[in-house]
Amino acid sequence: MALFDIEFITPTRSFDILDVEYAKCPGLDGSFGVMANHTDSVISLAAGEIKVLNNSKESYFSTSGGYAEISSNRLLLLVDSVESQEEIDEKRARDAVTRAKERLSSSNVDIDIPRAEHSLARALSRLSVSKR
Amino acid sequence: MANLKDIRDQIKSVKSIQKVTKAMKMVAAAKMRRAQDNMEKARPYASKLFEIINNLKSDIISLDLPLTEIREVKKIAFVVITSDKGLAGSFNSSVLKKAQQEIDALENIDVDVFCIGKKSSDFFKARNYNVILNESEFWNHLDFSTASTISKFITDHFLNKKVDQIRVIFNEFVNVATQKVIVKTLLPLEFKEDPELLQNTDLLYEPSKEEIVDHLAPKHVKVQVWRFLLESFASEQAARMVAMENATSNSEEMIKDLTLKFNKARQAAITTEMLEIVGGAEALKG
Repeated sequence: MALFDIEFITPTRSFDILDVEYAKCPGLDGSFGVMANHTDSVISLAAGEIKVLNNSKESYFSTSGGYAEISSNRLLLLVDSVESQEEIDEKRARDAVTRAKERLSSSNVDIDIPRAEHSLARALSRLSVSKR
Repeated sequence: MANLKDIRDQIKSVKSIQKVTKAMKMVAAAKMRRAQDNMEKARPYASKLFEIINNLKSDIISLDLPLTEIREVKKIAFVVITSDKGLAGSFNSSVLKKAQQEIDALENIDVDVFCIGKKSSDFFKARNYNVILNESEFWNHLDFSTASTISKFITDHFLNKKVDQIRVIFNEFVNVATQKVIVKTLLPLEFKEDPELLQNTDLLYEPSKEEIVDHLAPKHVKVQVWRFLLESFASEQAARMVAMENATSNSEEMIKDLTLKFNKARQAAITTEMLEIVGGAEALKG
């Protein structure tokens, strides 16, 4: 089976995953899958989970959004943050969900709705990844 | 001749100060290494983002993004980045001096200030400037979300048309011995086409080029703010390291001088005593 490489790049760290069979990413318009020899493209990513299949093993990552660039059989994920299953602090994520929900349901006009929605999405994706 | 005990006490106090400056130097060196490490890690992200922006530049220019809008400058905001703590040589004073010069050079233009770091907010508050944001006490756990928050404030201020231009003043890390004060216009964003860097133009964009560009611009600001913070933090630690190094060697010098003085005084005391004894013996003989 044809394989490809993934490179995660965030402002605070970068790492590679080599010889990947399949990856699923949260696009802005819904999830999309990537396999080897995908068309070269740039795709906006929403907050959500990234699934990676290599050596017939699945691993999951949570991201807060960014871009995916696919070129010359390499998937480059330029994201604000990425956390693997082990790195996620479940309690913190749950607290963040509660906080964001409170903020969204309050009647205070000063609340930055898009921002609260974004932090809710981020926290939910963390939770879903950690429960895998 | 100074009292022997006084000199001994003085030597003791200089030695204990030297211990403190030595320790501070070591701490600053460790923090500087960490900051340099972070700067290294931030580089791939910034350069990749820059590459994507470059590929989309013609679209960015034709789209007239709000963040690139050039308005007649009636009001300017300065983002002044300093440290929370002093004892770092001329690190803070050179930034603040530069800021004051820049502000004084403007005529008939209102000024807002974003104060990053305690020294900066102390300075501008004391002078009754219109301070929009005070952000301090975050340097020891500096992370990307700090940069996000700050840049959100800055971009909102610009987008709400409170100011027409935003400039940043900070220390750039050149090397351990040199920090350079830089004044940079952050907003409106300026994009120049650079055909040499252009590559891979037949990419597929999803959902659309417009939507991607729309998100790119604020990200670009964030990454720049992140870089400014990292540069400033590394510079602060480097400046403090050098200042403490100087303080340590100065106290070494002082200890040397004082020891010499102490020995002279001791010798003088012994000589006087001997003269007295000899004198007394001579008198008895007589």
